[in-house]
Amino acid sequence: MVTLALRTLRHRTGGFLATFAATFLGATILMAFASLFDTAAGGVDTATEETLTLMASVAGGWCLLIVAFAVTSTLTLAVRQRDRELALLRSVGATPGQVGRMVVVEAAVVALAAAVLAVPAGYGLGRLLFTLLVRTDQVPAEVAYRFGSIAVGIGVGVTVLGALLAALATARRLGRMAAQEALVADEPRRMGWKRVAAGVLLVAVGANNGLLTVLLFSGAGSDAMQTAGSASIFASAGLALLSPALIRAVTAVLGGPLARLGGAGGWLTVANLRRRSHQLGGALMPIILFTGISVGTLVMQSVENRADAPGGTIPASMQRNIETLNLVVVGMIALFAAIMLVNTLIAATTYRRREFGQQRLAGATPGQVRRMVGAEAAVLAVTGVLAGSVASLATIVPYTIARTDRLVPDAPAVIWPAIALAAVVLTLAASIGSARRALRTPAVEAVGLTA
Amino acid sequence: MSSLDAREALRLDDVRKVYGTADNPVTALDGVTLRLPTGSFTAVMGPSGSGKSTLLQCAAGLDRATSGSVTVAGQPIPTGGEAAVTKFRRDRIGFVFQQFNLLPTLTALENVTLPARLAGRRVDRKRCATLLAQVGLGDRLHHRPAQLSGGQQQRVAIARALASSPALIFADEPTGALDSRAAREVLALLATAVRDHGQTVVMVTHDPAAAAYAGAVVFLADGRIVGHLARPTADAVAERLAHLTDAVAVAGV
Repeated sequence: MVTLALRTLRHRTGGFLATFAATFLGATILMAFASLFDTAAGGVDTATEETLTLMASVAGGWCLLIVAFAVTSTLTLAVRQRDRELALLRSVGATPGQVGRMVVVEAAVVALAAAVLAVPAGYGLGRLLFTLLVRTDQVPAEVAYRFGSIAVGIGVGVTVLGALLAALATARRLGRMAAQEALVADEPRRMGWKRVAAGVLLVAVGANNGLLTVLLFSGAGSDAMQTAGSASIFASAGLALLSPALIRAVTAVLGGPLARLGGAGGWLTVANLRRRSHQLGGALMPIILFTGISVGTLVMQSVENRADAPGGTIPASMQRNIETLNLVVVGMIALFAAIMLVNTLIAATTYRRREFGQQRLAGATPGQVRRMVGAEAAVLAVTGVLAGSVASLATIVPYTIARTDRLVPDAPAVIWPAIALAAVVLTLAASIGSARRALRTPAVEAVGLTA
Repeated sequence: MSSLDAREALRLDDVRKVYGTADNPVTALDGVTLRLPTGSFTAVMGPSGSGKSTLLQCAAGLDRATSGSVTVAGQPIPTGGEAAVTKFRRDRIGFVFQQFNLLPTLTALENVTLPARLAGRRVDRKRCATLLAQVGLGDRLHHRPAQLSGGQQQRVAIARALASSPALIFADEPTGALDSRAAREVLALLATAVRDHGQTVVMVTHDPAAAAYAGAVVFLADGRIVGHLARPTADAVAERLAHLTDAVAVAGV
């Protein structure tokens, strides 16, 4: 099975590209932040040590959450796409344990390779981050940048561990399925209770942080960021976990009109949305995270910048620090979520090559297939932007109340439309682009492919 | 369209198909000429590599012939892009494939209504349900492919092919993935469609027992038509096929 795992890796490199990309980028970002710990440990003055540690733990902490999320969800998706192949192995006599070991070995090899290759990239990005801190006078110029065991340990450790845990969970799921059942496996109708519970809990934590912001930090100046900043991250992650339910809810509302007015493409889209809410949920997650976290944090920072009195216990010298920190967090998370989004959509659409072939053989023109994919992507984008916007309110409303005693934030009106537009454009471009590529294979050949 | 053309469901004139590069051409079809009248049930047989699948794909507009012409119900297959050919195909041709090719997210009934929806025609759900009842699936209308056996899926595919009343149904190894009992049911359904409803069916198969359900067999070897057999029996077909395979083996040496 180990041999088979390695051979699969060699011959189907493309299938592992998504996992590789997510792990590589995740490890790069984590190492960049963790290298600030290395630098802080290298004998610097107390203030600098505090700045570096704060930056590394707050910004790095959030990235850790997102990276773990991205790596596990990408890997789960990649394995799920091979359900048939794995079921085939089972039906020719592989035990669940053997298939499980194969999945875990594949994941370990890919994640380890990606994490190790990410070391130079992490060094580069960390250096860039450090230069940024020096340029904004938050760290004295004489401090030397260090990249050491903490950076490598956290970067490699978290990503490889995340990938392994996801692979083990997937292997366990495969093990529970009988071989025949696996061959014809339908996706689950409902989400597992653990997932629902985790999603609801995260949303509740987000709402709670919002509430605490108003209760504890009203009039306390930028101290309110301590709870407000994380509120939208928690709420976004919670809604992302609940994404299959969100898709079902939106389909319940939009399904009827779309099926009636959207022609055959609209009708097929609705059938997909209804019966594939779990698969499509995987693509919805990054849209929610991208929108929720970007809008929440950017609006919060704008409110802060325009607020009259700095106030609060945080000294003025730290204000700048916090702004940099916020922008870096948003930048990293937005970049990562965008890549995860494109990654997921391309993988999901390419996986459907066979289905597109079947539609074409049933009489769908390439244009009809493209329109169906476009309609699906549009529903995903709208759902994700709506959910993300709701999640961002967990930060924006409490912070605005606490900081300015107003309800409506005083922030540039362009933030929300710009981010929403970016989410919609990325979603549509990635889906339709990969569908176009999938349509280049002649229909007869496409249905013959072992998906 | 002349009345003569209307009675001709399929007509191939000197169809050639060459794959590969200019330096290393592989001739899959070497000047095939064939006329099939409306209401006929024809089996296409031949050793593997004889060009059976290529013949079907060129005749059905799924692949483009290198030269020669293909006419379905008096109309030549258009030379435009995939959209033009698809529109031509969905109005005139039904398909039954070895791997069924039903859409996994759609129920049996939805799969049968799909071609009409894609063509922008009015969807006659009642007729589609009746067709499913005729193939013995009246109680499975709302099941999805994964909930049906292979034989049942193939019967859904037959109902889907019949739904648009096409001039021609192509069946590509329709029993290749089925057990013998399900295979017999599927073949009987195709034969019934021809006998009772005047459908025209062209079936590619390698199974002499399947070919015996057809009204005539066309034998193919090395991309050429090398024989006909009317009112075939399984034994007669098997014998002819054995000769062909031997001849090809000898020629190969």
